[in-house]
Amino acid sequence: MLTLVVRRLLLAAPNLVLISALLFFSVSGLLGSPAGLMLGQDASPEAIAALNARMGFDRPLSMQYLSWIGGALTGDLGRSYTMQESVLSLLLPRIPITAELAFLAILVATLSATVINSVTVARGLIRPAAALLGIAGITVPNFMLGISLIFLFSVKLGWLPTTGWSPWSDGVLEHVRHLLLPVLTLSAFYFGSFSLVYRAEYEAVRRQLYVRVARAKGLSETAVSFKHVLPNSILPVITYIGITLGQLTGGAVVTETVFSVPGTGSLFVSAILARDYPVMLAISMLIIVGVALMNLLADLLYTVANPRIRLA
Amino acid sequence: MPRLKLLSGLLIIAAACLCAAAAPLIAGYDPTQTSLQSLDPPSSAHWLGTDELGRDILSRVVYGARISLTVGIGAALVATSIGVPLGLCAGYLGGKADLAVVQIVDLFIALPGLVLALIITAMVGPSLKNLVLVLGFVMWPPVARMVRGQTLAVRESVFVEAARAVGGGAGWIIRRHIWPNVLHVAAAQFAVTIAFAIFTSSSLSFLGLGVPPPTPDWGGMVRGGFDYLIVNPAMSLAPGVAVAITVAGFYLLGSREA
Repeated sequence: MLTLVVRRLLLAAPNLVLISALLFFSVSGLLGSPAGLMLGQDASPEAIAALNARMGFDRPLSMQYLSWIGGALTGDLGRSYTMQESVLSLLLPRIPITAELAFLAILVATLSATVINSVTVARGLIRPAAALLGIAGITVPNFMLGISLIFLFSVKLGWLPTTGWSPWSDGVLEHVRHLLLPVLTLSAFYFGSFSLVYRAEYEAVRRQLYVRVARAKGLSETAVSFKHVLPNSILPVITYIGITLGQLTGGAVVTETVFSVPGTGSLFVSAILARDYPVMLAISMLIIVGVALMNLLADLLYTVANPRIRLA
Repeated sequence: MPRLKLLSGLLIIAAACLCAAAAPLIAGYDPTQTSLQSLDPPSSAHWLGTDELGRDILSRVVYGARISLTVGIGAALVATSIGVPLGLCAGYLGGKADLAVVQIVDLFIALPGLVLALIITAMVGPSLKNLVLVLGFVMWPPVARMVRGQTLAVRESVFVEAARAVGGGAGWIIRRHIWPNVLHVAAAQFAVTIAFAIFTSSSLSFLGLGVPPPTPDWGGMVRGGFDYLIVNPAMSLAPGVAVAITVAGFYLLGSREA
């Protein structure tokens, strides 16, 4: 297990260096001198040159990249241009919020996709409804779903707060009330795609001999479905979680913006709109590293869910 | 079920195309014409009411089909013209060419499409042309992967072996023997790419990086109406429904799994 983890991390390293270099050079190359952005349009050329020299922006890009990546590896991600704070202190309190949102969304999507598609009672009714719901989950953009949920549950019914975030310290109930709609919004797409993957596997597993044996023993359809078919159909869903994690960050960006959740995604959007590229670069790298690590985790989970598989 | 899926997809696409082509006939008003009747509720004169600048919401939604379809189809064309040749070459030639393409595709998968599109659009500036190019550039890897997979399967066919035996060159075999058998996969992927290009471009507009105003653009309209959700929900919900239905139309047409 440990050798696998180490080997996978070593394999990922060159890719990460390549992507970080690509990002750094294209962002700094295309945006031009950050000093101009920081001082505004009316700044004199002398002032811009002075700031460039002070911040090291007049060095060759390759040198700037090396010092950036050196800093990143030692935990110094630079300073934000628009918010007078270090990137790290901006990011740290936001990461747990996005992580919680993403984790819950995946959990809700996985549970609902597997359970709803395994129900054997009133199959003729539930199956088409679940399929339709799945297509809607995939094709309705996050922002639209989020706004519709806000309109229904907050504006019309007044059950839940419209937007915003409430930390754990405000009490569990408040926290959950603020969390409910964002999690639901983010999970919809994954409910749809997990359902597709799960249903295909479920149908294949259902025809296996051991399922027929289980039925022949006299087990009820529900017991067969949940005890024998479900555990054996969930593997492709776990693999798929790893593949879709990248997209999850995109969904989180939109969802956090809709619900004004103070997470990494909403920070990313404001950094992009303000062209605050130390923050942009840091979050992009965070996403890439996060996705790589989560993929590894999904592979490890795979061996837990199916002990027959040994990763070499 | 597959027939129903295909039919409903086609019907939705036809309706969207009709809106785009005959927008001046369907919409009762100029989509950028402001008036003093701002934030009117739905009425017989304005079926969905008016927005904060007094523009007719229904007309803006109808005209919005033009932007969405242009971006969606344009981006899918760009993605296809990059992804199909690369996928064909990688799949047929194998070896180093295959390795290189697969490597690049894997690199792209590490960064999600929307995030990459956000970064690039922020750098090059939002405009209709840039959106088409950026989304096309972001969306070619799945096309290449699909085409490569199908090419790998077709390459092993007996008729390809026969073509090679009579002395056919790689270019000729790909054109005459591989491509006709990959076409259906590429066509389905083309429709799915349109769906996700519209999906992504509307998300970009929602985040403030879409086609600049006053052009009626669905994602931007949803964002604009968000602040007036209590006054006139149609301002936000109508363009949102339009995006969702159009995306579903192309998705139903192209997706093999649904």
